[in-house]
Amino acid sequence: MNEFVLPSLLLVLSLGALPLVSRFRSGVRTFVMPTLVILATLFAWHLACAALGTRVFPSPMQTAAAFGELFESQRLLGDVVASLFRVTFGFLLAAGIGIPLGLVLGWSTRSFEALNPIIQGLRPISPIAWIPIAILWFGIGDGAGVFLIFLSTFFPVTVGTTAAVRNISLVHRRSALNFGVQGLELFRRVVLPAALPQIITSLRIALGVAWLVIVAAEMVGMDSGLGYLINDARNAGSRYDLVVATMIVIGAIGIVLDYLIRRLERFDEVRWGYVQR
Amino acid sequence: MSAREPKVVFERVSKTFPKKKEVLQVLQDIDLSVAEGEFVCLLGPSGCGKSTLLNIAGGFEEPTSGTVRIDGQLVDGPNARRVFVFQEYGIFPWASVWDNVVLGVRHRPRSEQHEIAQGVIDLVGLTGFEKAYPMELSGGMKQRVEVARALAVSPDVIYMDEPFGALDSLTRLTMRAELIRIWNTRKPTVLFVTHDVDEAIQIAERIVVFSARPGRVAGVVDVPLEHPRDLSSHAYADIKRELYGLLGVVQAV
Ligand SMILES: Nc1ncnc2c1ncn2[C@@H]1O[C@H](COP(=O)(O)OP(=O)(O)OP(=O)(O)O)[C@@H](O)[C@H]1O
Ligand SMILES: [Mg+2]
Repeated sequence: MNEFVLPSLLLVLSLGALPLVSRFRSGVRTFVMPTLVILATLFAWHLACAALGTRVFPSPMQTAAAFGELFESQRLLGDVVASLFRVTFGFLLAAGIGIPLGLVLGWSTRSFEALNPIIQGLRPISPIAWIPIAILWFGIGDGAGVFLIFLSTFFPVTVGTTAAVRNISLVHRRSALNFGVQGLELFRRVVLPAALPQIITSLRIALGVAWLVIVAAEMVGMDSGLGYLINDARNAGSRYDLVVATMIVIGAIGIVLDYLIRRLERFDEVRWGYVQR
Repeated sequence: MSAREPKVVFERVSKTFPKKKEVLQVLQDIDLSVAEGEFVCLLGPSGCGKSTLLNIAGGFEEPTSGTVRIDGQLVDGPNARRVFVFQEYGIFPWASVWDNVVLGVRHRPRSEQHEIAQGVIDLVGLTGFEKAYPMELSGGMKQRVEVARALAVSPDVIYMDEPFGALDSLTRLTMRAELIRIWNTRKPTVLFVTHDVDEAIQIAERIVVFSARPGRVAGVVDVPLEHPRDLSSHAYADIKRELYGLLGVVQAV
């Protein structure tokens, strides 16, 4: 019974400290409160494993050990790079095509009428459903991964950009007209900057989707990357400690990606789009 | 006033909007001539078509019938010599004060742009805020940026659609005084829309009163008072009474 006493005590302590910490000034609070919640989760996880006496599902300690193994084997780095490579290229490709396309679709009613139906028809198809075709066209490897990420990010970016342009307020469009802003200059000076805050939001959503999709795609149809690592760890002798460790890595990278893309929201040119009005 | 050339001439301007099965008559047979350099207020109840008339003059909308001529030329679209100060904020929130102000003179040589922009920024009292973004400014300052942006192109005609409507009463008062000062230095033709009777009497040389929808010219009232105007004078009260009469409003509450 002794093995339960300390973790239980720590669990109660970390949760009990929350009301106290909530009175701290916000700089400290926003760091300490989440830390306490994470600690409590770890203690609860530990207690659950001990209580159930499971041999398959790893405890926090075993997961920590699995991290060590992953780092030592140097496999982790290769798989992280493989996943990030596919996401980066697919995402950049989708942004590079989707943003200009969305700007045109948003501004020109004709092009919207012509292209919107096919976009709306392709959009609901899960990128996972494309995996067989991706493998058929690109084989098992980076090509298929990049293609799938392109598919899963292209639609949110294009549709988000289109909506952003269609939302440009009448006064701003009329201001542009009044001062003779036309053609490419209109896009550069008015359409793009007016739509940019919403475009960045759609990029952020798209990147989140990409990170979800790549893991699934790698589990089904690829032979490297973090998704493959999870599958491999399970197939190679039910190494659930490696599975959970990899999941945590996936979550951490997801947070970093979101943090990086959110930095775009801080530029003076787009900050106006996020303040409350 | 009689010596001045007609600048903006409305001739039998009517406007209808389609509305389900019927049509909505918004303006009916507006005849109006505004002289070069004149400051005219368009006064009328909400929904009578003041903004619509201004949008037609500015070339953003077409009249259903009738014509608008400026310097004898038919208006066939927006033009940078005739600029709008919008009812809602028309300046670009993604651009700094400076970049907003140079919008209309962006094709001129750099040194010229600089001179013009600094000139109008100083004129509207925003010196020191050149690098600020609109969201960092108060409502009154944003409206000054919009006025500066309009003035930068040295327009012949300025259309102002309730430019101070969103401001508090104290700021409105100072903005009116500023506007008159600016108008006196540059003498553009101004068409100023408002539904505030006092505002109209404080700034206009001539007030055109509109009836409720469909908007028609109910009457034209001259304001032969020198600036700065004495708001407690008899003449002021007389004009106010006349305007209320034209608007069909009982003055005593
Ligand atoms: N694009 C449009 N389509 C249909 N109806 C319109 C359109 N624009 C204006 N209207 C109608 O025309 C009428 C006059 O509108 P307008 O904006 O010119 O009024 P206003 O005198 O400026 O009023 P306010 O003082 O409230 O700004 C309103 O009844 C409005 O509903
Ligand atoms: Mg209006």
